[in-house]
Amino acid sequence: MADDLHRALVGGPTAQEPTIGRRDFLRYSGMGAAVIGGAAVLTACGSSAPSSSTSPASAAAGKPKIGGTLRAGLTGGTGSDTLDAHQGVNNVDFARIISLYDPLIAFDLNAQNQLRLAESITPNSDATVWTVRLHPGVTFHNGKPLTAEDVIYTFTRIITNNYPAASSLASIEYKNLKALDALTVQIPCRSPYATLPDAMAGYNYYMGIVPVGYDPKNPVGTGPFKYRSFTPGEQSTFVRNDHYWDSSAGPYVDTLVITDYPDETSQVNAFVSGQADVVNLLSATSIPQVQAAGNILTAAGGGMTPFTMRVDQPPFTDARVRQAFRLICDRPQMQDLVFGGRGTIGNDIFSPFDPEFDHSIPQRTQDIPQAKSLLKAAGQEGLSIELVTADLAQGTIKVAEVFAQQAAAAGVTVNLRQVTVTEFYGSNYLKWVFAQDYWYYSKYLPQVAQATLPVSPFNETHWDDSAYNKLYSQAIATVDPVARTAIAHEMQQIDYSIGGYIIPYFPPTIDGYAKNVQGVAATKDGLSLGSYNFKAMWLA
Amino acid sequence: MTADTTPKARAPAEAGARRRSHPIAWLIWTRTALGVVTLFVVSILIFAATQLLPGNAATAVLGHNASASAVHTLELRLGLNKPALTQYWDWLSGVLRGRLGTSLANGQPVWTLVGPRLLNSLVLVALAGLIGTVLGVGLGMFAAIRRDKPADHALSVSTLAVTSLPEFVVAIFLVILFSTVLWHILPGVSPLESTSGAIEPWQDPTELVLPVAALVIVIVPYIFRMMRAATIEALESDYVEMARLNGLSPVRVLLRHALPNAIAPTIQVIGLNFLYLAGGIVLVEFVFDYPGIGQGLVNAVSDRDIPQIQFIVLVLAAFYVVMNIVTDVISLLATPRRRVAR
Repeated sequence: MADDLHRALVGGPTAQEPTIGRRDFLRYSGMGAAVIGGAAVLTACGSSAPSSSTSPASAAAGKPKIGGTLRAGLTGGTGSDTLDAHQGVNNVDFARIISLYDPLIAFDLNAQNQLRLAESITPNSDATVWTVRLHPGVTFHNGKPLTAEDVIYTFTRIITNNYPAASSLASIEYKNLKALDALTVQIPCRSPYATLPDAMAGYNYYMGIVPVGYDPKNPVGTGPFKYRSFTPGEQSTFVRNDHYWDSSAGPYVDTLVITDYPDETSQVNAFVSGQADVVNLLSATSIPQVQAAGNILTAAGGGMTPFTMRVDQPPFTDARVRQAFRLICDRPQMQDLVFGGRGTIGNDIFSPFDPEFDHSIPQRTQDIPQAKSLLKAAGQEGLSIELVTADLAQGTIKVAEVFAQQAAAAGVTVNLRQVTVTEFYGSNYLKWVFAQDYWYYSKYLPQVAQATLPVSPFNETHWDDSAYNKLYSQAIATVDPVARTAIAHEMQQIDYSIGGYIIPYFPPTIDGYAKNVQGVAATKDGLSLGSYNFKAMWLA
Repeated sequence: MTADTTPKARAPAEAGARRRSHPIAWLIWTRTALGVVTLFVVSILIFAATQLLPGNAATAVLGHNASASAVHTLELRLGLNKPALTQYWDWLSGVLRGRLGTSLANGQPVWTLVGPRLLNSLVLVALAGLIGTVLGVGLGMFAAIRRDKPADHALSVSTLAVTSLPEFVVAIFLVILFSTVLWHILPGVSPLESTSGAIEPWQDPTELVLPVAALVIVIVPYIFRMMRAATIEALESDYVEMARLNGLSPVRVLLRHALPNAIAPTIQVIGLNFLYLAGGIVLVEFVFDYPGIGQGLVNAVSDRDIPQIQFIVLVLAAFYVVMNIVTDVISLLATPRRRVAR
């Protein structure tokens, strides 16, 4: 029943997002993808479930069965795959990390904070000291109980080694982390940091809690699965953790096998010939083939694949050019051509599911005459520009091609330069003048910290606006959520009117799962397969 | 022209080669020496080529996480901040002392990563090579004796058609036929895995069927066409005519008189096909997600993992050198008049 509720929450209309219209619904159900909508949407539309699509919601209502082997066929892995709790890079790493370790806090299905190993995370009055109370009775895979010392060890490991999460934890005074008792940690910060829990939730896949003395060669965590074997770039196997602390949902399967596939073709072949039970990150073109052999899971997530314009380089030094480029985009057409209409339209502001997101800002639509006049005013008529694209995420190259087409209408020549992913993230990464990128979902202010401040490690638009910077400092010093939301709205207004990102849509994640796999639910954080929630899956 | 000429021919060769050793030993000796030089040059070229690729192991490993400070930290840890010559020397001196080094991508010893892949690829190449050779030679002889009959035409046309298909097309076609669309009788991918980890290829032979079949289909036409032409030529020769007129059975004429003369040129083609297999497995392994060195090389290049790239390329280059020596020796043995030192 919990699954029904989850699915209803994910698929059903909420106050924060456009509801699924009748036309969309018909299109989804026509493609047999009504599963994503689940029972709630079906009832709301007053129609019966299409007979062609098997609704997992009804089947999942049965009692989960223990046992069996779940085989996940995932793309995105490389020879540099890792089991290290804090050094994950690609989504196959995250799939393994989420299975082996637990963070203090993560996202629920709706991308809202959900406490995991922490029982509470509370700030002092000015958010300079946070106190984390741990869930009691949690043990690591080796039997050692979880204590405050492990949390201190984990944070120190991340910060001193400059691992990916270090930038989110930079203002923590790691030398002064203190265990108040066996299950309570005190986290002092150099400056107010009201968004610490949001940052920890958003980057939870970088912050698995590991035991003191952790050695990644013997990857011990508190997660739902225990390590058995691992070959980078090929495969990894795990067994169920029978002593998992959170027994509310799983883990159910005895064994989890994760196989890296080099591309979507072999991945889909594996699924269709019955060698993989769940597959991730499909493109719209694979849907019919996967559907013939199983089910499709479409998640309208908040991950993003923006176009990035460097505001410190011509022609983008002129905000009118940036605005013109945003007005060039026919967003529904992009979404239609790349994802067959799946996903959500974007408004050039990230983090749409954050309660701090301003939904009152009007949706930007294509306006070629306006774009032309802005370009003319900026003296950039007949502009010719290079757009660097790579196969960074589902649809990035395709949407670059669509943008080039649409730009032609405004007299802008876009020359596509397609590079390999390795080259894209090579020495020119974060230096491209006009390029793309992908981001998993994060709440607004943590995303700002990563991407749009002069000190951000990934400031790909080279955004440095003094008013914006000042607002951010104010926001993270504001503990009161209402007051903080007001500040965030001011910042979003700046993003919307002069920012360096074009966010035409939030891409959907499209996954496949075999007919006998139950307990699969969509999430909104941009990660596949319910944020690789293998613990909830079971085999009918 | 019978098999027992071999010992007779060797005697005059040894007697005639006073200053030089036996031609075959001489060939093996010089070719091996040249091969070692080749490998050294290859290692330099590969290292230089990896330096020209955009990005390095640090940016490749970090990917989307490649912020300036993270790249700097990792470059220090991996020693990528050292001059290129120093890096090459570190690698070379390690190899000369029998140490292949550790992967830049994941820190594991190169041998641990490549060893199992090497075995997997060897199984694939050996099986495909053997089956392809037997099929190609057999079909070639069959077509030669059925020259200009329907069976010959059918074989010639169909092999010509297959020759024009790249191996990945053949592979995908096989998958569509046997795994995903028409029938579902064979595994469509071959990741060689079980619930407890990686397995050896022979533990699940069904996973070998399609990759081997794809490679066999690609190499058979070349061997077939050469064998057919060579057999036809031999069948038209005077000595075969003589044998026939002497009333020997057709089978004996074919196997004892025509075959030994037709096989010599075919051996060169078979050798070339083995060499092709060493490269052709890259694409086939990719299509089937088969964990061999081809797939390992693709991964290593995209990770800029120089020690792994170096080792795999050297193994492939060594395979080329050894295969060339072996084919030359075999075709020398099959051509008695060339065995004599001049």
